[in-house]
Amino acid sequence: MKKRRAKQLKKHREGDIPTGSFSDIAFLLIIYFLVATSLVKVKTITADLPTGEKQAEAQMDKTPIVNLRETDVFFNDKPVSMEELNDRLAALELQDALGSKKVIMLESTSVTSYEVYFQALAAISANGGVVALVEEE
Amino acid sequence: MARRKNKQKRREVPVPIASMGDIAFLLIIFFMVCSEVTKDKKLDVTLPISEYVEKNNEALVARIAIDKNAQIFFDGQPVESAKDVEWGVRAMLENTVSEDQRHVQFKCDAALPKETFEPVLKAIAEAGGIIEAVGELGE
Repeated sequence: MKKRRAKQLKKHREGDIPTGSFSDIAFLLIIYFLVATSLVKVKTITADLPTGEKQAEAQMDKTPIVNLRETDVFFNDKPVSMEELNDRLAALELQDALGSKKVIMLESTSVTSYEVYFQALAAISANGGVVALVEEE
Repeated sequence: MARRKNKQKRREVPVPIASMGDIAFLLIIFFMVCSEVTKDKKLDVTLPISEYVEKNNEALVARIAIDKNAQIFFDGQPVESAKDVEWGVRAMLENTVSEDQRHVQFKCDAALPKETFEPVLKAIAEAGGIIEAVGELGE
C-alpha cells in the first residue's frame, strides 16, 4: 500500500527549472558585449582610385597635378599651402565636372609621409575630385 | 491611534524584479544587432588629421591597417605583403553586386613613408575596392 502511494506521488511530482540566475547570466552577457564591441563610428575620407587603363588615360591628358615633396605641396608645379590647395581645387568646380575632367593627378616622393598624403587626398576628395596616382618610372 | 501609525511604518514594499531577465535579454539583442566586434583595437596606429573627414556610414567589406612597424593587417590578421591584401579584397568582392558593397577601410600610421602605404592603396584599388581612409578630425 505504502509502495503504491509513493509511486503515485513520484508520478505527480513537478520539476521546476531554476530561472533565478537568468538575469545574472543576461547581465554578464551585456557586459561582455559592451566591452568587446565598438559603437563609435570612425571618421573617414572616401577615395575611389582609378586603376589600369583608366589611370593611364588620365595621365595622358593635361590634368591638374598635385605634387608632394616631403612636407611641401605643389599644385601645377607652384608651391601652395594646404588651404591654398583647397582653394585652387574648389575653383576647378570638380563636383560639376564630368568624366576625366574630375581627375586630379597625385604625385609624391618616396619619403612623403602618410600625414601629408592623407591631407592632399582628403582635399581632392572633399572637392569632388577623383585621384589618379602617378606611377614612378 | 499611535499603534496604527506604527503598523503603517513597518509595511514593506517589494521591488518588482520578475521582468529584469527579460529587460536584460532585450538589451543583449540590441547590442548584438547594433554593434560589431572590434578587430583592430590593439593596433599601434597614430591617425592622420584632416578637417575633411566625415563619419563613415558605409558597410565595410574588409579592414586593412598598417601599424607603426609597417606591419600590414587584413581584418586584424597580419599579412606579408600588399599582394596578399589585393587577393584578400578581390576574394571578398567576388560576389558583390552593387557599389555600396565595395568599401574597404584603410588605417595607416601618419608617420609612415609612401613606399610603405602606397602599394597597399594600389592593391585595394586594383582589387576594385573603394578606399575609406581613416583619420581624425582637426583644423
